[in-house]
Amino acid sequence: MSYTLQYGQIWPYLPRLFDGAWIALQIAVLAFCGGLAIGTACAAVKSFGPRWLARIVSIYVVFFTNTPQLVQIYFLYFALPDMGVLLSSFAAVLIGMTLNAGAYLTEIQRAGFESRRVSEMEAAEVLGFSRLQQIRYVILPHMARVLFPPLSNHFIIMTLGTSMAAVFGVEELTGQAFNINSQTFRSIEIFSVTAVFYVALTLAASVLLAAIGRYAFRARTGLI
Amino acid sequence: MHHLDIAGLDAHYGKMPVLSGIDLTVGRGDIIGLIGPSGSGKSTILRVLMGLLPPSGGTVKLDDEPVNHADRAALRRLRDRIAIVFQQYNLFQNMTVLENVTIAPVKIKKRPRAEVEAEARALLAKVGLGDKLARYPDELSGGQQQRVAIARALALKPEILLLDEVTAALDPELVSEVLDTIRVLAREGMTMLIVSHEMAFIREVASKVVFMADGRVVETGSPAQIFDAPQHQRTRDFVSKILRH
Repeated sequence: MSYTLQYGQIWPYLPRLFDGAWIALQIAVLAFCGGLAIGTACAAVKSFGPRWLARIVSIYVVFFTNTPQLVQIYFLYFALPDMGVLLSSFAAVLIGMTLNAGAYLTEIQRAGFESRRVSEMEAAEVLGFSRLQQIRYVILPHMARVLFPPLSNHFIIMTLGTSMAAVFGVEELTGQAFNINSQTFRSIEIFSVTAVFYVALTLAASVLLAAIGRYAFRARTGLI
Repeated sequence: MHHLDIAGLDAHYGKMPVLSGIDLTVGRGDIIGLIGPSGSGKSTILRVLMGLLPPSGGTVKLDDEPVNHADRAALRRLRDRIAIVFQQYNLFQNMTVLENVTIAPVKIKKRPRAEVEAEARALLAKVGLGDKLARYPDELSGGQQQRVAIARALALKPEILLLDEVTAALDPELVSEVLDTIRVLAREGMTMLIVSHEMAFIREVASKVVFMADGRVVETGSPAQIFDAPQHQRTRDFVSKILRH
């Protein structure tokens, strides 16, 4: 077997990989933000809400954390049209990843709600803080600090998870790599370069998030 | 007129009585040492006074004015005048030393920041932490954190300071730095209620010692009376056990 590496051949396709990386990042950021909103609301319900509502949230969380993400998106993309709901591949992937993230982020944030320190709230109480002031000055900063590292980790996992969109023909990073491969057949070159793109993407995100966490919330992550 | 007058105070955790008929009068500048075995209700008195546990009976008067612990506005006025320091310091972990001390005067009392910061710097210098203003609590030793907690309590200029086993969580070599800080306050005439297991310290600074057991006051007297000539058997047992160490 002789295979000569020819990275030069895929050089002209690099802009398409950048386009793909940009779409991957968009999906990750949008799905993460949507998931964060869902997760915050659901975590609040699970910690403080009425029991019947908390039970509905639990069903949602159990369902979405115990089925493969791919199956969830397949359902949205292939099964919903039979019920009259037609989604674009991008929309199906985005909605699927958002709902999936919402379920995981519910559990992560519930841990944050439940780690609130009674001792600090008592100190605030005797110093004359109102309930709202306790939330603003004590509970939220504490939660941000505790939750930032696990939320960052989940964002990284989601960034890599966007590659699933390729299955549905979304031209994100993996999708572009797949297309370029079928045009050039330089599989080793194209997929190794794609891997480097993912590493660069997640490393940049990790460092950026760690820096934000360090300076904004004094959160400890492994990187900084 | 008594600075603080507690009469017939009762409190319950759920259905369990934790304080029964507590009577205690505190004069201006008095330093009351509350001693007794664990679970005797010493700390509970302080928690009830601060409104962290609602009383189920009895009265508390501050300068002859009855305090209604069920009324949040009354509690806020009370907390302007009485401050508490906890065993576990309870500092705000997300704030620097200076922010811990200034947040209540600035954000809650709406006093000008520059003025509050100047006072906070002076207070922190007084407790020996003038060089740690920008540090966070988790960067300090337990003794240093407890001194920050004392400065934070003093920043609201309380008339009465409650100290709830403030040295119990500290390593032995850090206890003296906190006790020294309390000695300074004692010399300045601050009214204090001190719950402590540091008997030698209580004996030294207290003007009155209250021995408690099972949620009741068993015996009250001067340090010499309680430690050298206790009248009740329970006090005698407790004191002899403690002093044997």
